[in-house]
Amino acid sequence: MTAAPTPMVRGLSTRLARLPIRRISLIALGIAIIYGVVAGTTATLRTGKFDTHDWVNFLVQGIARGSVYALIALGYTLVYGILLMINFAHGEVFMAGSFTAFFVASALAGHGFLDRQPIISFVILLLVSVATSVTVALLLERLAYRPLRGAPRLVPLITAIGASLFLQYTFRGLYGEQAQAYPEIDAFQGTVQIAGFPVTKEQLIVIVGALILWLALYLFIERTRTGRAMRAVGEDRQIAALMGIDVDRTIRITFAVGGALAGAAGILYVLLFNQVNFTMGFIPGLKAFTAAVLGGIGSITGAALGGLILGVLEAVGPTLFLTGTGIPSAFQLTPIVSFGILVLVLIFLPGGLLGAPEEKRA
Amino acid sequence: MIERFNDRNVVTGIIQLGLILLIITIGGFAYRASGRPKDGTAPPEPVMAGAVAGAASGAMVALFVIVVTLLAEAGYVARDMFESVTPALLDILTFQQNPWVGSAIMIVMAAGVGGLAGYAHRLPAEGRKLTFLGLGTLLIVGLAAPIVDVMVKGLGLPSGWLFRREGLTVAGALLVLVVTVALRWYLDRQGGFRRAAAKLPGITDSNIKKVGLTAAAVVVLALPWLVNSFISEVLGTVGLYILLGLGLNIVVGYAGLLDLGYVAFYAVGAYVTAVTTSLVGYLVTDDPLRPAQNGWTSFWLALPITVVIAFLIGVLIGAPVLRLRGDYLAIVTLGFGEIIRTLVLSDWLKPYFGGPQGVTDVPAPPPASFEFRQPQRLYYLILAFALLALFVSSRLKDSRIGRAWAAMREDEDIAEGMGVSVIKYKTLAFAIGAAVGCLGGAFFAAKLSVANPGSFTLLVSINVLAVVVLGGMGSIPGVVVGSLVLVGLPELLREFGEYRLHIYGAILVLIMLYRPAGLIPDKRRARELAEAKELKETSGVAAS
Repeated sequence: MTAAPTPMVRGLSTRLARLPIRRISLIALGIAIIYGVVAGTTATLRTGKFDTHDWVNFLVQGIARGSVYALIALGYTLVYGILLMINFAHGEVFMAGSFTAFFVASALAGHGFLDRQPIISFVILLLVSVATSVTVALLLERLAYRPLRGAPRLVPLITAIGASLFLQYTFRGLYGEQAQAYPEIDAFQGTVQIAGFPVTKEQLIVIVGALILWLALYLFIERTRTGRAMRAVGEDRQIAALMGIDVDRTIRITFAVGGALAGAAGILYVLLFNQVNFTMGFIPGLKAFTAAVLGGIGSITGAALGGLILGVLEAVGPTLFLTGTGIPSAFQLTPIVSFGILVLVLIFLPGGLLGAPEEKRA
Repeated sequence: MIERFNDRNVVTGIIQLGLILLIITIGGFAYRASGRPKDGTAPPEPVMAGAVAGAASGAMVALFVIVVTLLAEAGYVARDMFESVTPALLDILTFQQNPWVGSAIMIVMAAGVGGLAGYAHRLPAEGRKLTFLGLGTLLIVGLAAPIVDVMVKGLGLPSGWLFRREGLTVAGALLVLVVTVALRWYLDRQGGFRRAAAKLPGITDSNIKKVGLTAAAVVVLALPWLVNSFISEVLGTVGLYILLGLGLNIVVGYAGLLDLGYVAFYAVGAYVTAVTTSLVGYLVTDDPLRPAQNGWTSFWLALPITVVIAFLIGVLIGAPVLRLRGDYLAIVTLGFGEIIRTLVLSDWLKPYFGGPQGVTDVPAPPPASFEFRQPQRLYYLILAFALLALFVSSRLKDSRIGRAWAAMREDEDIAEGMGVSVIKYKTLAFAIGAAVGCLGGAFFAAKLSVANPGSFTLLVSINVLAVVVLGGMGSIPGVVVGSLVLVGLPELLREFGEYRLHIYGAILVLIMLYRPAGLIPDKRRARELAEAKELKETSGVAAS
């Protein structure tokens, strides 16, 4: 026999149970993070270790890095917009292009062609990388994802993880496990002054290149017939089919376009980081996914915006927030900034910056 | 890399693994190509069709060899780009002849293999089954020869006539083939294994399960004494993965939440145990150079502390993010895994976690006189906890909590409507999964005497996921089989070691494509997946 709780105790416990504990703790978490960021920032700025010059440097680095993230993020967003699935292996599509183009680059460098005709060489590399990435993306869609259309959500996701691992180790089997250093293109070295601040030519190419590609994609989606078909399939696959849209073809095109952007990103990436190996796609892929979520998955502008914000926060964040707090080697904590952003965005703003508010889909 | 397969004898001196892989690939193509077409047209002449398909695949290989050779003569070495295209590989593909002769042999051999594969269609169904079974068993026993050899020796029987140089002898191969085929044939005649077993004296329909369990228990307990300490150690590792797999099975299999950061709890288990028990100076004494006599506590006290902390961390990580939909949750948990790894690696927390080196000098579980680190003893220790975890998770499955999880997994909204507090049960699944998984970490630290960040990469999460998925999500025997296949086999088949992750990736994809409920499906889970497939097929018709 258990004694019934006295009315007063029961009242208190139900009242306690009704408290929105989750919301309160989330608000507390939010306030704590904002306080930490503000306090860290003021402390860092007060130390005076870095001047304007340094900050602009960080910023440009961040924008360049963010442009690459943005390009990869577009692939995630396009596929998610249509199939509502995270193409976990997209990072490997990016790696495939970049890694394959390396061998062309080193062959071109060996013949001296790379330095004689830097622009033509660059275009060749871009084409090789894009072609490889598109091929891999299409194979992935055909072999791994298409048979699973309509399966429970967990199923294609696990498939995608498996495909990601499989692709990584396939390329390791093909090209070996060492990291390879891309040959440098002499014509792309050096800096230019923009508004009094030095920007390396490579960074400039990356930023401008990404901007052009983003614009091209935007026009493609908004202005062409195929783009309209893609949007329609994203809205409702069955009705799109009834309207005479070839759904399979549209999905293929989506994967191809995403792959092409990833391939281009692969070449821009090596301008910044120079090294390729078979695992290079994984972390940028994750960060690009973060960028896509941050901007609002499904939104093209959002992916670009998210990429830039993430890139800048990564480049500036650890130094700005943490140096002043006395934490040694703050740059080591970069992954915490990027994944922390992902977690926070999903908790506080599940729709992302520009996305529609999250609706539940079965 | 591939040429290493050819150092591995299956039947010593006659058939090597490399050749077998080639034959299986060609034969598989030919078998599929020569079968009855799907559209119901007249069946082809299977032997001819198989031979043609085989010759075609052989010709592809030959073409590859010739292109590589011609390129090399023109000064382009394929190996500069494709690392695996080694002279040794070409030697295998040309049977050590010159490229032209080798290619001709390859095409002829492939046609022969293809013809044989096509002929399999001609065999009566029973004969085909027996042939494949016999050849399959032969391959498995041949690959497992080193272990089987040790076990036969462990029983005190002579093994020289069966095994030689890590492969079967011809006599051994014949024996395996004959015994397998005869046994299967006999069992089929008797109407299956259960019927046949029931005819043995003292076994009735009612106690057959008990007898089977007892036999299994005897094997499991006796195993370390039959094999050498290397294999015991492998078994210990398998046990660790069983623990991890059971933990993840609760999260993924029971509750249907995809957790890609499961390694975080493995790391928490290892680090908490290590930090609380380590003898390393900087953690315990003021003088960093002088190692301590005792850690802060002993392993046995650290274990419950570890479990509690892991449980709490599971709640802490889980509570804020569990409202997210499945695929977002996967990525967020993955992010948490990376965050934890970054934290233990950082200079910032180095005074506690030792940075890249990790926490060293973790003592073995006391009493020292029992020598728990000896692989055989450790095996029993891990076995005991694996059994405990097995018990807990099988009891959980049909408990009120387990049924709430199943309801939630099938339809969250309806479960919520029926009064299941989704957040509460999700958090619970996450935390219990964490508590089970951290045991794996604790034993890891005790086993290797160190907890270092290098051991807690994302790949561990994916390995454990592969274990659960292969065995079947939600299936407890599945986890055991999954661990044995994915963790045990690669340790023993060293040739596959390099390809391990490659194979994991392929397994995840293939299982999801062809058998999403896994090798040993959980009944309810299999039904859910089948229903979803039916739905898909009907809606697929509507869409096209």
